[in-house]
Amino acid sequence: MTVDYKSLDWKFVLATAGLSLIGILLIYSAHYDSSTGSSLNFYMRQSIWLLLAIILFNAVIHIPVRVIDFIAYPLYGLALLLLALVLVAGETRMGASRWFSLGFMSVSPSDIAKLALIVALSRFFAYTKLPPQSKRRLAFSAMLAFIPALLVMKQPDLGSSLVFVVLLFSLWFWSGLSPAYLILIISPLVSLVAAFHWVTWVIYLVLLIIFMLVLKPGILFGVIVFISNLAFGMITPFIWNHLEDYQKLRVITFLDPGRDPQRAGYQIIQSKIAIGSGGIIGKGYLEGSQSQLKFLPERHTDFVFSVLGEEFGFVGTLTVVLLFGFIFYRGIRIASRCRSKFTSNLVWGALTIIFFQFFVNVGMTFGLMPVTGLPLPFLSYGGTSLLLNWTLIGIIVLADYHRSEY
Amino acid sequence: MSAYFIEKDRRARLASVLLVIALMTIISGLFYHQIIRYKSFLAQSEENRIRIRPIIPKRGVIFDRNKEMIADNRLSFTVSIVPMEMAKEVTLPRLAGLTGADTSAIKQKLNANFISKYIPAAVLRDQDISVISALEENSEHFPGVTYSVESVRRYVEGISAETFIGYIAEVAPDEIDKESQWGYRPGRLIGKKGIEKAYDRELRGIEGTDFIEVSARGQIIGTYGGRERVPAVPGADLVLTIDAALQREIVRFYDSLQSSGGVVALDPTTGEILALASFPGLDPNLFSGVIPDDVWRSIIDDPRHPLLNRPTSSMYPPGSTAKLLTAGAALEKGVLTPETMLRGCGGGMRFGNRVFKCWQEQGHGRLDLYHAVEQSCNVYFYQVGQILGLDAWNEFAVKSGFGRKSGIDISGELSGIAPSRAYYDKAFGQNRWSKLLILNIAIGQGEFIVTPLQLTQFYAGLANGGKVFKPHLLKEIRYPGKAIQKIEPSLSFTLPFANNTISVLSRSLELVVQGDRGTAKGLRNKYYTIAGKTGTAQNPHGKDHSWFVGYAPSNDPKILVCALVENAGHGSEVAAPLAGKIIKRYLLGDSTHNVIAHNVAESLVSE
Repeated sequence: MTVDYKSLDWKFVLATAGLSLIGILLIYSAHYDSSTGSSLNFYMRQSIWLLLAIILFNAVIHIPVRVIDFIAYPLYGLALLLLALVLVAGETRMGASRWFSLGFMSVSPSDIAKLALIVALSRFFAYTKLPPQSKRRLAFSAMLAFIPALLVMKQPDLGSSLVFVVLLFSLWFWSGLSPAYLILIISPLVSLVAAFHWVTWVIYLVLLIIFMLVLKPGILFGVIVFISNLAFGMITPFIWNHLEDYQKLRVITFLDPGRDPQRAGYQIIQSKIAIGSGGIIGKGYLEGSQSQLKFLPERHTDFVFSVLGEEFGFVGTLTVVLLFGFIFYRGIRIASRCRSKFTSNLVWGALTIIFFQFFVNVGMTFGLMPVTGLPLPFLSYGGTSLLLNWTLIGIIVLADYHRSEY
Repeated sequence: MSAYFIEKDRRARLASVLLVIALMTIISGLFYHQIIRYKSFLAQSEENRIRIRPIIPKRGVIFDRNKEMIADNRLSFTVSIVPMEMAKEVTLPRLAGLTGADTSAIKQKLNANFISKYIPAAVLRDQDISVISALEENSEHFPGVTYSVESVRRYVEGISAETFIGYIAEVAPDEIDKESQWGYRPGRLIGKKGIEKAYDRELRGIEGTDFIEVSARGQIIGTYGGRERVPAVPGADLVLTIDAALQREIVRFYDSLQSSGGVVALDPTTGEILALASFPGLDPNLFSGVIPDDVWRSIIDDPRHPLLNRPTSSMYPPGSTAKLLTAGAALEKGVLTPETMLRGCGGGMRFGNRVFKCWQEQGHGRLDLYHAVEQSCNVYFYQVGQILGLDAWNEFAVKSGFGRKSGIDISGELSGIAPSRAYYDKAFGQNRWSKLLILNIAIGQGEFIVTPLQLTQFYAGLANGGKVFKPHLLKEIRYPGKAIQKIEPSLSFTLPFANNTISVLSRSLELVVQGDRGTAKGLRNKYYTIAGKTGTAQNPHGKDHSWFVGYAPSNDPKILVCALVENAGHGSEVAAPLAGKIIKRYLLGDSTHNVIAHNVAESLVSE
């Protein structure tokens, strides 16, 4: 299908490209060695991935919308198959089976599944005749999301499985579910967290009751919500006991990073030091001692934002946050101007995934969010992540290009 | 369809608001960390990469009064571990394998000497050069292991140096004080006894600081230019009042006795201690390296208590040496004159319903004070004691320095006991004790106990016209640079005796050596006169302890010697000859055939 390049949303694409280039600069710095004046070849690989990602982006914007529509469920099925397969045949790294090795690259099926779930949910919400609050509608879409979420949790990769759940809630919201209902539906999960201490739990339950009295959602629904809140709260200790040790550690460390500065809290503390010591304008490119002297862990992947903060300061971090802000703001506008429900849903889903990763990753670098292992879209080193996120951008640009079509 | 779009617009606006809130949350978080708390994080990032490496100053050297070096430093290798860089399961077992030490022992040291995860903690001291070269060649197999050159104390042997110098060892947990300027950090060496302890601050100098830049793995990047290196200030050298040559001879004399005991020699005109020795002694070099647990155990469990510093920290009845105190007090009180003849000695005398014995069974007959001292007659002094009474005796004993510390400049000194009415009331109950207790005290037995140093002090007063100078071991402090601080003699107290009392007492002390019946007449010689007193301290646990305390030349005292030999019997038998040899060695040098020494001796005699 021919595309008139002049009518593409170039500002949107340029913001994305800008972020990707900043990422390569930071990856270069993250493994720079001042004694040899060179860096490990991560930045070269990332540059090649970026080229591939842009080629993929170009391919995506040429796909006719109806083809996406057509392959929605087959793609979803394939993704589930891969997720199941990776559990038995995947490559195991650091205790997790998340990858298929293709020799030259590792493919993470959970990234494919994210894409598949966006398409599948978008299609379902676009064509279903069931009203937004309908239980069958909610149940079916929840099933679509929870199957991949559970498979991914098995790997184990809690961060990615949360992405599926968040995507579900986000598309519920976008396809018409009342925000109040959404809050009530999500509330048992909040209860799960609040129940870590009985005082917070009791306060939470009281607030929930007040919220329901104001909202009056209907007796049966209200009772079900309240009972599930109680149930979720009460299984917290049980879940806690069944968490993997590293997951427990992440929760504990998130709540109190100073508790074990040598081990689990080390990453967060070093990241905060890196960001905080950058000040307003930063220590200068290739000059960050936290990054250059290797105090900062995972600095080309999960903590690439900390390298930015240390070397470019508040000016640098603000620039990147505003570039992301621009993408989200423009993305929301694109989603709301699409005349087709399906493409609008696609845009919304794509935005959700990018936003969630962005928020959790950046929040993690200064202790706002726990360490989940989610990369920073476009900036973190990683081929599949770059390909996925550029595909999502491609879908948004594609949807925008076809915004007037039903 | 338009309703759907209106609804979507509303949701898009709601989402935009939420987006702005989320972005503002992130931006304010960044603002808080990068701008408000910038300074704190900058400091932390500096602290991360800058490792402070202490520069240990050279410990001061110690000389004797003739500038003979008696304590210096040799170089040794200390192996340390940087906790941060250590590979848990690998480093310690490998290091143990290399050095032959125990893994758990190394681990224990590491915990004891831990300061921070970036700062090397000393785990093995005084390692062989072969261990160091093995570490050097295979450094990649020993992650986190570093070594440093440290100086180790070396003491001259054969001079009983441990008695007065003491020793140094790693600081104990309760001595660690990281805060103060003079603070001792874990793994540092500190004086534990004697001079090393008393003048530790002078000897150790001031630690310097080096700032180096390191990577997260502890790899040294180079010197950190941001902060000035602070050089170490070396410790001050000390010159002691001790005469090492004399000390060496004392050890030689004493070794032939095969006994426990102690010797103090000092210059009565200044209080400078010329010799201080305790037997059996210990080699202080034992402590400078790593003292193995079994060696330490054997020292602690030795029934002869080699760690005990007998001249200052062991108490004995003074025996007959105390008779001079009794005599002096009685003369001052006016209840006795030198010519007073008391009832004659028949080998003992009945007081109340008990017979108090003299040491000589056949008795001494009727004596005046001079001859009572000369022959050390107990019966005479029983009577003086009875006339004097406990209260008067105690008054003079305390004023003569008994029952309180001398204030010598090393720690661990004991104060002895000069019994008083209050003391007995407390020990036996109000007035529930015999008035005859004074009789035993008058001859230096019973509850009256002294340290050799207290006795030395009292006799130094007799030798020096009543003036007692504070006994001390330090003569000079030589600070790095040129500054020298000389320690001037300081008057401690004056004996409570008038001049003629003192001359009566000195005269009688001369008779002990010069008199035909003197108990130490064996010390008589043609070069100089010795004035002194023998003593026999009754010992309920075994053979009596032998005392001699005396000075020479008696008309112009240059040296005073107090010798105590445990379980050796009469003072005249063992302690007096020992003291005689020491005095001779000091006044005449190592050979009487030496012409110069001979001339000196001649001139001494002619004075």
